[in-house]
Amino acid sequence: MTTLNPTAPQLALPAAMPARGGRRPDLLRWLVLGLTALAVLTPLALIVYQSVLDAPFFMPDKALSLDAYRFVFDDLDFWSALRNSLVIASGMLLISVPLGAVLAFATARTDLPGRRWLEPWLLTPVFVSPMVLGFGYVVAAGPVGFYSNWWQGWFGGVPWNPYSLPGIAVIAGLTHVPHVYLYCSSALRNLGSDVEEAARVAGAGPLRVARDVSLPMVMPSLLFAAVLVFFLGFEVFGLPLVLGDPEGHLVLTTYLYKLTNKLGIPSYHLMAVVAVLIILVTVPLVLLQRRLLRNAKRFVAVKGKASRHQVLPLGPWRWAAFGLVMLWLFVTVFVPLSGIVLRAFVSQWGEGVTWWQALTLDNFSGLFEQDNLVRAMVNSFAVGVLGGAAAVFCYTALGLAGHRRHDWGVKLSDYLVLVPRAVPGLLAGLAFLWVFLFVPGLKEFKNSMFCIWLAYTVVWLAYGMRLIQGALLQVGPELEEAARSVGASRARTSRDVTLPLIRHGLLASWLLVFMIFEREYSTGVYLLSPGTEVVGSLLVSLWATGAVEQVAALSVVNVLMVGAGLALALRFGVKLHD
Amino acid sequence: MTKLIVEDLHLAYDGVKVLEGVSFQLRAGEVVSLLGASGSGKTTLLRAVAGLEQPDRGRILLDGHTLYDAAAGVNRPVESRSLGLVFQSYALWPHRTVAENVGYGLKLRSVPRAEREQRVEKALAQLGLAHLARRYPYQLSGGQQQRVAIARALVYNPPVILLDEPLSNLDAKLREEARAWLRELIIQLNLSALCVTHDQTEAMAMSDRILLLRNGRIEQEGTPAELYGAPRTLYAAEFMGSNNRLSAEVLSVDGEQVLLGGKDWRLLGRALDWLRVGDPAQAVVRLERLRVTDAPGPNRIQAQLSTAMYLGDRWEYLFHQRDLRFRAFGQTPLTAGHDYWIEFPQQDCWVFPEPVAA
Ligand SMILES: Nc1ncnc2c1ncn2[C@@H]1O[C@H](COP(=O)(O)OP(=O)(O)O)[C@@H](O)[C@H]1O
Ligand SMILES: [Mg+2]
Repeated sequence: MTTLNPTAPQLALPAAMPARGGRRPDLLRWLVLGLTALAVLTPLALIVYQSVLDAPFFMPDKALSLDAYRFVFDDLDFWSALRNSLVIASGMLLISVPLGAVLAFATARTDLPGRRWLEPWLLTPVFVSPMVLGFGYVVAAGPVGFYSNWWQGWFGGVPWNPYSLPGIAVIAGLTHVPHVYLYCSSALRNLGSDVEEAARVAGAGPLRVARDVSLPMVMPSLLFAAVLVFFLGFEVFGLPLVLGDPEGHLVLTTYLYKLTNKLGIPSYHLMAVVAVLIILVTVPLVLLQRRLLRNAKRFVAVKGKASRHQVLPLGPWRWAAFGLVMLWLFVTVFVPLSGIVLRAFVSQWGEGVTWWQALTLDNFSGLFEQDNLVRAMVNSFAVGVLGGAAAVFCYTALGLAGHRRHDWGVKLSDYLVLVPRAVPGLLAGLAFLWVFLFVPGLKEFKNSMFCIWLAYTVVWLAYGMRLIQGALLQVGPELEEAARSVGASRARTSRDVTLPLIRHGLLASWLLVFMIFEREYSTGVYLLSPGTEVVGSLLVSLWATGAVEQVAALSVVNVLMVGAGLALALRFGVKLHD
Repeated sequence: MTKLIVEDLHLAYDGVKVLEGVSFQLRAGEVVSLLGASGSGKTTLLRAVAGLEQPDRGRILLDGHTLYDAAAGVNRPVESRSLGLVFQSYALWPHRTVAENVGYGLKLRSVPRAEREQRVEKALAQLGLAHLARRYPYQLSGGQQQRVAIARALVYNPPVILLDEPLSNLDAKLREEARAWLRELIIQLNLSALCVTHDQTEAMAMSDRILLLRNGRIEQEGTPAELYGAPRTLYAAEFMGSNNRLSAEVLSVDGEQVLLGGKDWRLLGRALDWLRVGDPAQAVVRLERLRVTDAPGPNRIQAQLSTAMYLGDRWEYLFHQRDLRFRAFGQTPLTAGHDYWIEFPQQDCWVFPEPVAA
């Protein structure tokens, strides 16, 4: 240790002067909160308002009335759609929760072969548009699908029917396994193996430990995921749209979608009623989830120390578990994606067609011959890259507005973030369409990418905020306090300390938001117009026109875009979940 | 001249009272230590002075200016208090070099670049860090990080510097050297410092005055010598130094002199609080005050040596006498199993009433 040189002059510093900046009111913060409230609440308010009108809001002779509710409640289709939604949501619950929990336990806690490289594959269904998956099942496992044909050739007759209600429920269940897996595996990872080891030492066998210690301790997360899957069951749109069409199975979202044509005139008031009813189902579930999350956090406080993780030897069961994982991957990822890819490379398909004879690249070259398709690809890419960056910017602003504060502004932003969770993308897109029609001065933007970007940003608000808040949590509070103590204002501290420290987290968020924006399909459905096409939503309208080749090729492009993001994310070691 | 005045500070987290009416003053050029057990509220008090916690009640004044006044509704934000704060974890910004860490406070004060660089250089040189200016915090040792943290807090010449357990992240050996270095630095730069520590030796070595904190209240305040040599409460007596504690009954009281009795022993002690005959009492004697002898005498208790431990500069003995156990220091090796007579000097045998509901 050096000692001071006594002859050295003392630190000759002038008397402290107050730091620059002074005490400007948190104008910026309230501006951010206010804009967020506006962006989140206006569409919602408009939906509710429209639902109690007897005609579209832009008609001159509209009046307040509950006629629309009466009409919907008298419609038998509505009740069957509600019933189907319930069946699908319950089916998803029954399939994805146990399967997701088992997959999570197997990858996080056992010596399952290949558990290191399996994870990105387990998550793929999250990043692939359900529209694409649904279409994949049609061409792969539908009545004349590739796999159906092959199976029929070998065994005569196929035992499955993806167009039946149970078929849709099973497929929806299988594709939502990753949602459960995500929450369950991060809970298991946070749970130190010491609590499990303590049970082992006390004399419990491995299965006993799983049942008596691990399962109860991840139970809050499992419950949370179960509620999530259940309300996602009411929001699924792409799968039932594609798979439910042939046999005429409607769910709430597709019922809403088909309402457009029901009366011939724009039936906005009816759509608004269905939207309100869907939101009435999801809001309580979201609130329940929030409660559960708080309980889960309390549980985390008593968790063991997350130190070394001992893996549980499965013995001969290793390969059985591996088989189960592979089977799920095959059915959920490989079958639909291979179906799409095959279909994209053949000119036609049906009984008696051999695929190597029909092999062609025309479907892809065809994509570049139509302006709207080219625009869709350019727009999708732009909304992912630029829009993703802009969205991360907004999420960061909101994150900083609530960072290390404990006032009602924070509570407000917490609830604001919850709202879009309860509003499915399809409805949010519709609501934004109305906002841009309704609010004077915004009409010019209706047919612009800004409208789509705004809808995307609001729809994925909760997801984005989780990413940003996760990054913000990593910053030690005393690093910021140190800046405050040497004289930096809050804003200055955010700029000079917080933001530089979370820059990697921001880049990772950008990448993840890019993927999510590429995947998005339902939000843009009502916002498509010449010039604002995006691939995901264009697939929906192309599907309705029966342009199978274009849908297949465009789906492959869509998957490739998301895949590129995923590859980059993996390359740079971005954590795909917390 | 009084630099810092803290008056009747109260602070609670969600209804849990952490500070319950703390008042003290810090004079110019003085080092005051906040000493107390873990959880006694030291850090909270320091952070309240810095402006990082908002008290519920009370007043904080710096150089006559109000920093916080609950009654008047004044609460200056942290950044405009212009105090120097050294964090327990040092809290160096990992994305900035040492020079940038130190220079940040000057940058915020719009000091021109050239002057800023010169001052940073000077401050770093003063703290023996000149050669590390271009390094990043993770490239520094614990001791170097600590000095950077101090340089960062000093460079803009704050009227008072606040230090939260500045030495606790250093390993034991380094800590003693750093303690001397820090004390010397503070004296030489004529700083006024408020320093939090849970280590009594550190507090005594570092400071001119000690505030002993207990459950959010000041238990006793005084110079290190006063706290060590004249504790006013049982808690203060026990907190400082290493002690033997005997439970006994008060047999008689004569002014300051009190006669204590145990199962088969009697001792004269000095009453430091009100005592009544027949009440239970606690006697506290510092280890170094006990004298080990071979023969009976006044105020001596016969006891058997259970074991002797060699500590390098002295021996520590552990004695047993029925249900009594006590420790003492000495310079010679003694034989375990033998009986000795331990003398409790009457002036150093402090007697306090048994605390209620202890
Ligand atoms: N942010 C907080 N929220 C709730 N309780 C706190 C918080 N910070 C400290 N405490 C409590 O206040 C008491 C005093 O804490 P602290 O000032 O850190 O003690 P010390 O520094 O003396 O160890 C402790 O009981 C601690 O649990
Ligand atoms: Mg502390």
